[in-house]
Order: sequence, then C-alpha cells, then structure tokens
Amino acid sequence: MSNNTHAPQPYWNPYLAGFGVGLALLAAFVFMGRGLGASSAFAAFAGAGVSAVAPEFAKHHAYFADYATGNPFKEWLVFEVMGVFLGGLVSGLLANRTRLTIEHGPRWTNAKRLVFAFGGGAIMAFGAKIAGGCTSGQGLTGGALLNAGSWLFMGTMFAGAYGIAYFVRKQWT
Amino acid sequence: MNAPFFKYGLFGDDTSLVVAFAIGIAFGFFLERGGFGSGRKLAAQFYFKDMAVLKVMFTGIITAMVGVYWLSRVGFLDLSLVYLVPTRPLANMVGGLLLGIGFVIGGYCPGTSVVAAATGRIDAMVYLMGMVSGMGAVGFAWPSLEGWVNANALGPATLPGLSGIPYGVIVALVVVMAIVAFVAAEWGEVKSGGRALAEQSLFGVHKLTRTWGLFLGLLGLAFVAALAGSPYRGPRVTLDGNALGRTAATGADHVSPATLADRLIAGTNEYRLIDLRSPEAYLKDHIPGAENVSMTALPAALWTPTEPVLLYSEDGERAAQAWLYLKARGFPRVSTLAGGYAGWREQVLSPTLPEPKDEVARLEAERERAIAAHFGGAARIPLAAAALGLTPGVSPAAQVAPTQVASPRQIATPPPQVVTPPAPVAPAAPSASGAKKKEGC
Repeated sequence: MSNNTHAPQPYWNPYLAGFGVGLALLAAFVFMGRGLGASSAFAAFAGAGVSAVAPEFAKHHAYFADYATGNPFKEWLVFEVMGVFLGGLVSGLLANRTRLTIEHGPRWTNAKRLVFAFGGGAIMAFGAKIAGGCTSGQGLTGGALLNAGSWLFMGTMFAGAYGIAYFVRKQWT
Repeated sequence: MNAPFFKYGLFGDDTSLVVAFAIGIAFGFFLERGGFGSGRKLAAQFYFKDMAVLKVMFTGIITAMVGVYWLSRVGFLDLSLVYLVPTRPLANMVGGLLLGIGFVIGGYCPGTSVVAAATGRIDAMVYLMGMVSGMGAVGFAWPSLEGWVNANALGPATLPGLSGIPYGVIVALVVVMAIVAFVAAEWGEVKSGGRALAEQSLFGVHKLTRTWGLFLGLLGLAFVAALAGSPYRGPRVTLDGNALGRTAATGADHVSPATLADRLIAGTNEYRLIDLRSPEAYLKDHIPGAENVSMTALPAALWTPTEPVLLYSEDGERAAQAWLYLKARGFPRVSTLAGGYAGWREQVLSPTLPEPKDEVARLEAERERAIAAHFGGAARIPLAAAALGLTPGVSPAAQVAPTQVASPRQIATPPPQVVTPPAPVAPAAPSASGAKKKEGC
C-alpha cells in the first residue's frame, strides 16, 4: 500500500491502537478464559535451554523441573508470542517502519545502548518472575479483570520507571 | 453458547495453540500500530514527552474491562472461569518496581520487545537475549526467592472482592479515572512542547471526534454497569436437589483410598486430583500428582466442566463442602476421597496389616505392605503378631510383587515395580493458583 514511498507512515491514534489491544485481550478471555502474556514464554525458553544443557540437574531443580518435562514449543504463551512477532512484523512492513537500527537518544552510543538493553532485559526477567507477570500478564490482563495484585503492580511499575528515568536520561533524551 | 469456549470444551489443546497464534497476531499488530516497536517512543512516556504507553495500555484495559463486565452480565461469559493471577502483595509490588526500572533501562517490556525485534530493532533483540538470560538466572536464584515471593499470598483477589464495592461501580470509577489521566497526560504533552493531532486528542477538543466517541461510549456502558449488578453467574444456577441427595446417600461418588492407590499404581487414574489443604500441609506430603488449590480458586482452576475431579481435604469435611460448591457451579463429575487425606494415611501409607493367620491373609498383608512402600509409607504390624515375632511376609517382603491371583479384593493389582521409591514429588510452588503454570504471564 505504501510501496511508492519509503518514509515511515505515522503511528495510529494511540487510543485506537489501545482499543484494538483491548479487543484482542477480550478475545483471549472469551476463547480461552485467560489473558495475554509474554514473559513466561521466555521463561520457557530459558528453562528449555537449561534442560538441554544439563538435563539431570534440571530434573531435580525446583524451578527448572517444570520445564524439563514438557516441550516449550507446545506452551500456549509461546504460540501467542510467535503471533505477536508476526503481527508486529506485518504492521511494520505495511507502514514502512521495519529497519535494522539501534534506538537511543543523541547523547548515547550504540555500544552503551546494547549493554543497557541486555541489562534492562535481565532486570525485567527478575521483576516479571517475582511479580507473577509483566506489563501484559499483570498490567493489561490483571488490570482489565480488576485483579487486586495487578493494580498494586501497576502502581509500583510506574513509580519505578519514573524514579529511574532521571538517572538514565542521557540514553533517551 | 457459553464462554470461555476452551473451558466449556468447544475446542481442545491443539486448537488452543492456533487460537493463541491468532490472538498473538492481533496483539502484536495493534502494539506496532500504536508505536510500541520503538524504544524511544516507549521511553518518552517517562520523560512526559509522549504518553503513548499510558494511552494505549489504559484504553486496552478499560475496553477489555467493560467488555468482560457486559459479556458476563448478559450471561455469555462465565467470569469465575477466567483465570486470575493470585495476588501476592509484596511480590507484586517489588516485582513491579523492578519491572519499571528494567523498562526504562532496557527500553522495552517483554511484549513490546518482541514487536520491536520483529521490526528490526537490534537493541530489542539484545534485550530479548538479556531477558532469556535473566530468566535462567532467576531459576538459579529461585530457591532463595521462593519463600518471600509466596509469602502472604491472598490467592485470587479482585478490587471489588476486597473492597466490597460493587463490581460495576469499580468499572465506572476506573473508566472515569482513565479518561481523567488521558486528559492530564495530553495537558502535560502540550506543556512539554508536544501536541497530538486534534482527532487523536481529548484535551481541548470541543467536538465529537472518533476518539471522544469511543470514550463516551465506554463511559456510557460503564455508568450503566455501575447500576446493573454483579457480573458473576452464581445465584442463577438450578440444582436437582433430589439427585444430589441420592448421590450423597449412596456414596456413588466416593472413591476409597485403596481404589485410588490401585489406580495410581496401574496408571488408570482418570481423575484430576485436587488437594484442598493448606500450602504448608501440601508441601509436607500429598498424594502423587495432586495439585494444591484453595477453595476460592476452585472453579477457575478447573479446565472444563466435564473433567473428572477428585477432591480431598484433611478429614473430608472441606472436600464435601467443595463438592457441593462445584455441583452448584455446574460441574457434574466431582468425587471425593473417602476419609480424606487422613484416610489415605491410615489405609494406604500406614495400614495395620491383617494377622497372617492363613495364606490369604499373609498375601494380603504383603500386598498392602508393598503398596504402602510404593507411596513412601510403612505398614504397621498388628500387635498380636508382633508379640509373637511373626512379621507378615518375611525378609524383603516389601519387595515382593503383589500377586494378582491371591488378591482377595479382586482388583487390578500393581505391576511389580514396587521396589522403586515413590517418585520424588517436585515441590511445585504451593500455588493457590490452581497449579496451572501455563496461565501466568
């Protein structure tokens, strides 16, 4: 639809995009009786990795044992996350927004950005595992179900993000 | 038609993965449309430059929330079958704080990083590697985290449930709060030099745009919800009281510990085993394969109304109450373990063996001893026999395979692998969650 121009198209009205996200979430409730998620799919990958390298260790470890038996590619959330990847790719292609790039502010370098991305991902893993979900599983899903723990989670998540923002401002602004 | 479709058995596990993929595509598409494939756009939320995270996230929340309320209120969706992540106040708050910090440092949250990686952001790909590594590290640290993460768990808890304020009233309050937050966010954007297009704004727009139309619609539905009562189905279930009485009178859905033990050993147990005792008691010991589920989490923890369930509590009393609860909620195939866990302990783990006065009794004693050993228990010797020094079944009696012919009870007997110690029961998280790990984020 936009093959004649290479400029990325503007983003949608965020409220309209949010409405779409809400309908996808509602479909998950109606079809499955559960909400959306993301972080557990990566826990499954990590668990599968540990089981592949050290199967005996994994089998007797309280945390990895859960992943040692099943096939991570049969997990519901793994399929959902593969769908997220495809959906994001399709939308990006349609709007000319796919490009190989590293995003950061003008006062930051690519190398520092990648170190922060890795570290942030690792911190996120701890946060998601401790909280029992991420922005999708606790924030969106729990928020829509009026889950008490999810609203506590969202409060401290925004507090943590705004609290740290000043200290890493050079990365983004 | 009844929703959730999956829990009412409209499709099976394999189809559920197709559904997962399709819903994922929609989720990823709308996230990218909203600009969530860009780390800079996401992070701008926390410098008050571009409040897209707040707008997309809370529009999604209130859309689904109003939808869930009304689909449940009209009787289409059974809200009590929708899985709720159990509330653990301390863990929810500490985890949320870490997640917020990781969000700004890493530039993404897990879902948005997938979209960003799909659209070529190398930093998002590195972020994903960091997250998988972090998930592995959490695993190694888990034994020392688990204790406090699971402490003070409230189980599934909702804001209406905890506060006593009607569900619909909270729905209305959340919608109003979200719209106020949107207007404030747009005001902040204007102050910091940004200004969204008028048709994408609420603040300062004095005509009925599509955006205002959407929110006035949600607001209207939410205000009616405030007056429309509970979305839960509870009180409208009809029960055949006489059928219930007959079942109770005949004990038709009681399963004896001995029968269950035989079925578990033979691998013919078709029940899903539910342990209703406290997480502490469950962690100490439980019947192999049982899940620890609290009474309140019970309906949502069950997959489909047609799956056969066997409930047990310590003495059977709570199991009997849960039996009635589930019957009233429309689950027809609920059974209870006769005598509860106490009965299991008494009859399977440490049975008092019959006196070996003849061959039949001696074989039966050996059989019971072998079954007890299989489940990690130890049979007790009757007093008289012990006094005479007659231990039923000499030497390694526990290792003798129980013989089918001699079984006086004429039931399928265990295969001869009784020597194997009982399978070490993984100390699975004492999930009040219904132990369905799959349902987390």
